Parts: sequence; structure tokens; C-alpha cells
Amino acid sequence: MRGQSLGQVMQKLGPVLGLLAIVIVLSIMSPQFLSLDNLLTMLRQVTIIALLAFGMTFVILTGGIDLSVGSTLALAGALTAGMMASGLDPILAVLLGVLAGAVMGAFNGVVIAKGKVAPFIATLATMTIFRGLTLVYTDGRPVTGFTDSQAFDLIGRGYLFGIPIPVIIMFVIFFILLLILKKTVFGRHVYAIGGNEEASILSGIKVNRVKIGVYSLTGALAALAGIILTSRLGSASPNAGFTYELDAIAAVVLGGTSLAGGRGWIFGTLIGALIIGVLNNGLNLLGVSSNYQQIVKGAVILLAVLLDRQKSS
Amino acid sequence: MFSKFKLGLIAFLTVGLLAACTTESPTSNGDDETDASGDDGEVHIGLAVSTQNNPFFVTLREGAEDKAEELGVEITVVDAQDDAATQLSSIEDLVQQDVDVLVVNPTDSEAVITAVETANEADIPVVTVDRSADGGEVVAHIASDNVAGGEMAGDFIAEQLGGEGNVVELEGIPGSSAARERGEGFHNSVDAQDGINVVAQQPADFDRAEGLTVMENIIQSGEEFDAVFAHNDEMALGAVRALESAGMDDVIVVGFDATDDAVEAVEAGEMDATIAQQPIVIGEQGIETALSIAEGESVEDFIPVDLELVTQ
Amino acid sequence: MSHQTLIEMKGISKSFVGNKVLNEVDFEVRAGEVHALLGENGAGKSTLMKILTGIYSRDEGEVFVKGEPVHFQSTKESEESGIAVIHQELNIIPYLTVMENMFLGREIKYGKTGFLNTKKMIQLTKDYLGQLGVEIDPLVTAGNLSVGQQQMVEIAKALSVNAELIVMDEPTAALTDREIERLFEVIEKLREQGVGIVYISHRMEEIFKICNRVSVLRDGEYIGTRVIGEVEYDELISMLVGRELGTLFPERNVEIGDVRLQVEGLTSDVFRDINFEVRQGEILGVAGLMGAGRSEIMQALFGYREIESGNIYIDGKQVKIKKPLDAIKSGIGFVTEDRKEEGLVLSMSVRENFTLPNLNDMSNQTVISNKKENEFVEGKIGQFNVKTSGMEQEVKSLSGGNQQKIVIGKWLGINPKILILDEPTRGVDVGAKKEIYQIMNELTAQGVSIIMISSELPEVLGMSDRILVIHEGQIGGELNRDEADQEKIMYAATGGE
Repeated sequence: MRGQSLGQVMQKLGPVLGLLAIVIVLSIMSPQFLSLDNLLTMLRQVTIIALLAFGMTFVILTGGIDLSVGSTLALAGALTAGMMASGLDPILAVLLGVLAGAVMGAFNGVVIAKGKVAPFIATLATMTIFRGLTLVYTDGRPVTGFTDSQAFDLIGRGYLFGIPIPVIIMFVIFFILLLILKKTVFGRHVYAIGGNEEASILSGIKVNRVKIGVYSLTGALAALAGIILTSRLGSASPNAGFTYELDAIAAVVLGGTSLAGGRGWIFGTLIGALIIGVLNNGLNLLGVSSNYQQIVKGAVILLAVLLDRQKSS
Repeated sequence: MFSKFKLGLIAFLTVGLLAACTTESPTSNGDDETDASGDDGEVHIGLAVSTQNNPFFVTLREGAEDKAEELGVEITVVDAQDDAATQLSSIEDLVQQDVDVLVVNPTDSEAVITAVETANEADIPVVTVDRSADGGEVVAHIASDNVAGGEMAGDFIAEQLGGEGNVVELEGIPGSSAARERGEGFHNSVDAQDGINVVAQQPADFDRAEGLTVMENIIQSGEEFDAVFAHNDEMALGAVRALESAGMDDVIVVGFDATDDAVEAVEAGEMDATIAQQPIVIGEQGIETALSIAEGESVEDFIPVDLELVTQ
Repeated sequence: MSHQTLIEMKGISKSFVGNKVLNEVDFEVRAGEVHALLGENGAGKSTLMKILTGIYSRDEGEVFVKGEPVHFQSTKESEESGIAVIHQELNIIPYLTVMENMFLGREIKYGKTGFLNTKKMIQLTKDYLGQLGVEIDPLVTAGNLSVGQQQMVEIAKALSVNAELIVMDEPTAALTDREIERLFEVIEKLREQGVGIVYISHRMEEIFKICNRVSVLRDGEYIGTRVIGEVEYDELISMLVGRELGTLFPERNVEIGDVRLQVEGLTSDVFRDINFEVRQGEILGVAGLMGAGRSEIMQALFGYREIESGNIYIDGKQVKIKKPLDAIKSGIGFVTEDRKEEGLVLSMSVRENFTLPNLNDMSNQTVISNKKENEFVEGKIGQFNVKTSGMEQEVKSLSGGNQQKIVIGKWLGINPKILILDEPTRGVDVGAKKEIYQIMNELTAQGVSIIMISSELPEVLGMSDRILVIHEGQIGGELNRDEADQEKIMYAATGGE
């Protein structure tokens, strides 16, 4: 029994140890890596993928997948920018942008839960639809001309007590989601549905409602990521967030959440996103060519999954 | 009473927190300036390119790297993979490395502003190459004279058509300065000639596959045309494929950039002309200019690089 | 009997991480013998078989096949020595044909060409199935066969590799009564052909019916071997549990109250015009052949299957049940037949499974109260005597009996008026069986009404106050406790032929 629980602990610690190993190697190789300034920069870079991956964790825990988050990010970012450019109050525009993301997510959820369409197919379709809507809405051009709002600038570029505001947003949301998963009925139901959908239905869980909720949450988080990105860049590009869904899925998997659903934790996802962020940042600091960077990132993902297999077998 | 007190406390804290918000980076004081360039005597240049999926930018990077080696300058290259957010992140990483001068080839003229400002805050001078930035402090911009190049293409097509005919224009990524300027030059030339009509104008995002698809669609639409002007060679080569399959070999195709593929195509008679930008020269100029700035010399704020017409 | 000894295992011991799971176990099977291996879950039966087939290596002891000492390193080696295993979960690929399944991995080809000799394989498939007296089209897709037929295919496959010893692990668990009869005929044939069979089952009456000898394991110890016909039922039970179990079924003397549930004219595509009632504190047994529609009626009652017409009344008031949640709100709990697929979330802990249907009572509708949840779960673990290392243990690693206790226990959180139990003791060892019967008795004493579907007639007779027999989607008869016996039930279940 003791050996088993030790194994389980190792399984949970795996991602953290992996992150530590990468951090140690990078800090030896690059003197700038461990500076506070660089760490804050790195954390700020991670926020976008982390927010997408947080939502993705919920979706994957229910046994689903959401390929549309990158497109949702772009559309929500463009809508928010467009609303502000046409003179809407920035705070209202941000709220409406997040709401728009939630609606896009809810659409995914309804198609998957009520329409019984496989999540991969449903979100593959909406990925294209949302991207198309973004191109239609923006006419293929970046949306600009809203940068005079101080409040909006703060979201992506601001600091509070020296910490970038996106990083604060990321951690606040992380703790809220952590509590939702650990402490609420909704969170328990998310795990149950991923673990055994039949048993969940037979236990009286409103499976459809939970699924729609999960996809809406993911959509809202993707929209928030899009808004932060728009604020950082001062423009909303119609091809923003392209292939980000893959980075988000990678972060979830690196964190040890099972793609089969029912098993996983959001802390792991945070670590997974940090691994990706640290690699991006560190390899840039080392001056590694971007072509090689892609190979290194892919290899790390493979290695992580292989080690995970080894441990569980 | 109690709840009023609570409410007041929350309001106070909220206001306090909001007041503490700032867009000033806490570590962006000017102090770094002295150690930035002085630590090891050698000049360190950061080069942020927009993509390495396009031979033009590969050539540009090679020109810059060779020049850097020749001048004994350290260079770190980062690639944005055509994503504005990635470019911002990698420029932040270059700033963390305390490069002495930043040479940027923006993915998007508007979205790069934040990145330029990040460098400005760290007192790192910025040079833009090929595409310009719409904001932030840029010391120098090095680019082909795209407007002149566009005019060159327009004049060539008009001459080949004998002043009479229909032309299709394949545009680059909307909003990019290259697409804007090349288009502007091209229209300067053809709009002035009554016999030449631009019958279709569609973006194909500087991409060969996109160029192929867009051209196929235009052919399918049944529009009659005699010549194609593409804002870059990749799109032009895509268009050539589409025209070949449709058996329309006599259509005049003019590209822009003179990439290796395009020059070969011109020699083989598949394309009629391309406007040779000189990416090597742009890259070299970028490094030379950056070095001059690092050594405290003053430089021009726009450094045009010559273009030439490549025909068979 | 002059039959030669096929396999002999002597003094087998095995430990996992210092935990001794087998201690000097002896086991022997002769040709033409059906030898039952009996033991509660965790007694070491499967470990012993895994050592025999080379999946595990032994720590001590010897294994002989036809007198030759062997040391198998893999199942491939044991197969080559003529040992085949028919697992409880069948090794059939549902999208391939019977013939393709038979020859999977050892397809017959034209020489070395790589082209399949389909003709020959079809013929051989027919031959082997014919040896068993079974007629199945070799070209039919295996997934379209019944579980019993699939099992026949596996047995035929074992014959085709010249297996001399076949290990059958709970072979009747998923079969209908008719299929079980069929299987017994096949086993008889195999025995005549001189094949030795290791028969692992919990069903005592089957062992008495078809086995020659029985060996009993308990907690990894070898208890003894007996010849069937020379051993009494009670002796076997006490060998099995290590004590006198006493009577399996508790005395029913619960006072039966008013009508709790009334079902009127319930009709769907698989059953029609079902009328019955259950009283407070009553256990209604539901018997019938497999496929008669027993489970389907209960699923409909629970809102998990659509009905065409019919009314349901609880305590005299009509209730509308369209989905499981409606049923739960009306006070109905449903312990499904397949606890792994429908009852439990295997990736979750004992605690999380216990509170799944009634989290609202453990929370303020949103946030779960750890204190309330822990109290509830600790109470239930104690009440049901669940053997677990703690409430955080994953249910996956519990024995069948303990899993079943959790599935029943999780419904107590909703304070059910009516509890439907579909095959409540399937795959559960005798000790846990008795405990479950006691739990049922206690629940009815508290006024809960129980509907129990069961294919085990002794269980139906032993526990029910009243028995409803279902025949081809209709009620075939209703019997009171004192008038019912096995013959009368079978008579009603087969339509009174």
C-alpha cells in the first residue's frame, strides 16, 4: 500500500520535477534566466496559453476536447477591439467580449451535449467557423484605433506592485478554478462525467448542463486570453491564436491530466504551461534557432508522456 | 453599521488597488543603459524576424548573419513564426538579454508597437527592416522602396500589353506596409493609363498555396485578363501553377522579391518578371546601421534599398 | 480413472511487495476432468492461474506438465504446451468475422505468399465449432453474436491450437440460462475428448452439477481437494469461508406496510402492459430468463429508457419520470446490473463514489462541505463493513463485493423509498453475499421497499416476500413466498410450456 501511494505521489510530482530540472539547466546556461525581471516577463508570456489550458483542463476532464479555443480567442479579441473602436466603454467592451466567448463555448457545449456530436468533430468545425467569423468581422485586417483607453491598456500591459497584471489575472483565475474543481459540486461532477458518463447519468447528474457549463467556461477563458493579448499588442489580429489550441492541449498533457478524462488536476496544467513558457523563454535567451526550438519542445512533450507511461505501468 | 464599514473598506481597497496599477514597468529605469552596452565591449545585436517559412526572410537573415560575422558583432536571431504574440514574447526575451540594438522585421506594423515600446523602455534603440512599425520610437527604417517597385511592375505590365489590357492584382497580407506600398506604386502606374484595367483585386496573404487557390477562383469566375501582378513571388508562383493547369500560359505574371524560385521561373519563361528586392542588402544594411547606432554615430531615419526589374 | 495427470503444481508460493498471496499451494488436473477452483475474491485463484500460464513467475514450488517440469516465461510458452485460458472478458474483436477471430495472428496462407487461404480457414472454423456441436456461420461478424456464442468461438479457438487444458474463468457470468445449458453440454464433450478443464466459478450449484473435483483456496492457503459427490454443500462453504457461515439468507420477519409503488400498464418496445405493486418494507423478487425484459422494465421505471405508455404512482400520487434525476427526486435508487460500467466511477475514490447522487445534501448546493461528506462516508463504510484502506482508496482496487456495497450504499444518501437492485450479488463472493442480504433485510426493516432482479433462483426464493416472473416482456406469473419453488418459477418463466 505504501509503495503504491509513493508511486502516486511521484506521478503527481513528475511535472514539477520536470519543470525544476529545466529551470536548473537553463539557469546554469543563461545568467539572465533567473533574474526577477525575466521571470516576470516569462510569466506574462505564459498567461495566454495558461488561460486556454485551464479551460482545456475542464474539457479534457469530462473526456472531451476543445479545438476552437484559438479561434475563440481571435474572435473575442477582435469583437472587443471593434466595440471599443466604435466608442463603447472599455470595461463594458471587455465584459461583452468575455460574454461572447462564453456564448461561443456554450454553442460548442450544446452541439456536443444535446446534438451528441463527438467533441473533436464539433470543435474542429467551430474552430473553422469562429476563425471565418473573425475574418469576416475584421475584413482580414488587424483591428486598431482603440489604444487611447488607459483602463484597457492596464489589462495586458499594466503592473500592480511590480507584478504584471496579466500574471495576477492568471493566478486569481487559477485559484478560483482550483477551488471549483476541489470544493464544488460542479467540479466533482466534471470528474465523474469524465470517469464514467453512464454512471453519472444514473446517479442523477445533469450531464448535459455540466458539459455546456464546461465549454462555456473554456470559451470565456479563451475570450479573456484574447482580450489580454489584444491589450498587449494594441491591436487584434484576425489570425491571433492560430494553433494555440495545440499548445494548450500540450500543457494539459504535460501536467499529467489524462486525455481519456476523469483524472487530472489543474495545478499540473499550470506547471505544464510553465514548462512550455520556460522552454520558449529559455531557448530564446540561449539564442537557439527557432527551428531547433520546435524540435526541443516536441521532444519534451514526448519524453514527458513516455515517462508518465513508464511510471503508471 | 458594520456592513457599511465593510463596504467602505472594500471600496477603499479597490480604489487603492486601482491607484496602484500602472503601465510603467517597475524595472525599466534608465540605469541599465550604461551596463547594457558596456559589459564586454562586444556589440550584441538582436534580430527579430517575422517568419522563416518564406525564403525572402531566410535570405534577409543570412545577409544579416554574414554581415555580423564580418563585422565581428554578436547576433541573436528570434523567429515569430508569423505570430504577433510570439514576436512580442521573443523581443521581450531579447530585451532580457540586454542586447545593444534591436533589429525588428515586424509581423504586423500595428501589433509590433508594444514590442518596440518594451525595447524603448529598456533604452534599447530599435531599427525596423522591411516592414515598418506604426508607433514607438524607431531610430531607422530600412526597406526597399516598395512604392517605386510597384510602379516598376505597373510600367512593365503596361509596356508588355502595349498599353491595353486587363490585370489581376494579388494582394499581400492586408494592413502590412509592403502590401500597402507595393499596391500604391502599382496603382500609381496603371491607374494613370486609360487602357489598363484592374479587373480583380484579392488578398492571398503572401502565401504560395493561397496564391494558387485565389488564382484558381478568379479563373473559375470567368473573368478575362491578360496579366497578373502579385505583391510577392510566392503568390506569383502559386498563380503560375493555377494558370498552367488552366492552359493560360500567355498571361503575363509579375512578382515581387526575386526569390531564387522566382528568378528560375523567369529564366524558364514561366514568369515574365519579378522586382528584385535585395533581402541580403536589407539584412546587411540592418546590421551596419545597428552597429553605427551602437557606436554612437547618427543615422538616417529612412534608408531605402534599391530595387531592380528582373526579366528574361 | 486411469486418466493421466495433465498438470501438477506443488508447493507454489508467491509474494507481491512482501505480501504473501500464495503459500505452498498444491493443485492438480487430470485429463478428462473438470476441476473446480473455488475461493473468495482475493483467495489467490487468479494468481495461481497466472503462474500456471506464465504471466507471473513463482517464488517457490514446481510446475509439471504431463510429468515434465516447466517454467513458463510467457503465455505463448504455456499455449505451446497446450494450456488455453478463456477469460471472463472475452478476447473477441467485434468488427472481425468469426473466422478472422479464430485465426487471428496465425492466419493460414498460401505458402509464403501472404495471401490468405480463406477457404481452408472457413472449413477449419466449421470443423472446430462442429466438434463442440455448435453451428455458427464462420463469416458472421463476431460482434453480432451473443456472449454465449462468442464464448463458443473462444473455446473452439482453444481447440484449434490443440489445447489439452482449458482454464475457464467465471464462464457463466454473462450467459443466459439456455446458453449455460449449451456450455455445459460442450464441457461434457470436451471431457469425453480427454481435455482437462479448470473451472473457476462462484456459483456453487454449477460446481455440483458439472465438476468432478473441487479444490479450495482461502487467503492464499490451500485448504483441500474434494471429490464431488463425496462432499456436502455445507462442508464446502465452511472450507471456503473458514467458519460456519450459518444460513446464507437472513430470516424475513419485517412487517409489510401500505402500497409504496404502483405501476400501471407500463409499455415500451421490449415489454408491454406491466402491472405490479410493491409495499413498504417488502422485497419483490423479479425472476425470468435472461432477455425477458426484466432489466428494461426497471430502467424504464428509473427514467433511463423511454416508455410508450403507463402510469407510476408512489404513495398513491402519480409521478412523472422522464430521466434518472426525476426518479431520484421521487425517492428511487437503482443499483444497476453492471456496476463497473453503470454503477461506479472507477477512477474516483470510495468517498467520491459514495456521495455522487447526493452531493446536494453534502453541500450548500455549490460548495461541498468536507465535514458532512467525511461523516457520511465514514458512517457508511462502518455500516456496510466495506474493506478498504481508507475512504481515499480508488474503488477500482476494491473487490467485487466491496464495490457492490458502495453502489448500494451510495443510494442510501438520498433516503430512498424504493431501491431497485439488478443482480445485486453477481460476481460477489459468499461472505459478501451474506452481508448484502443482511443489508437488504435491515433496509426493509426501516421501511424501504426493494425490487430485486436476480437470475439465481436460490437467491430469489431465499430473499423475496413475493416473486414476479417475467416472460417475453410480459408478466408471466406472480408467486407468494410460501407457495414458490424453483419449478413453479421456471414454469412461469418459460411461458408455462
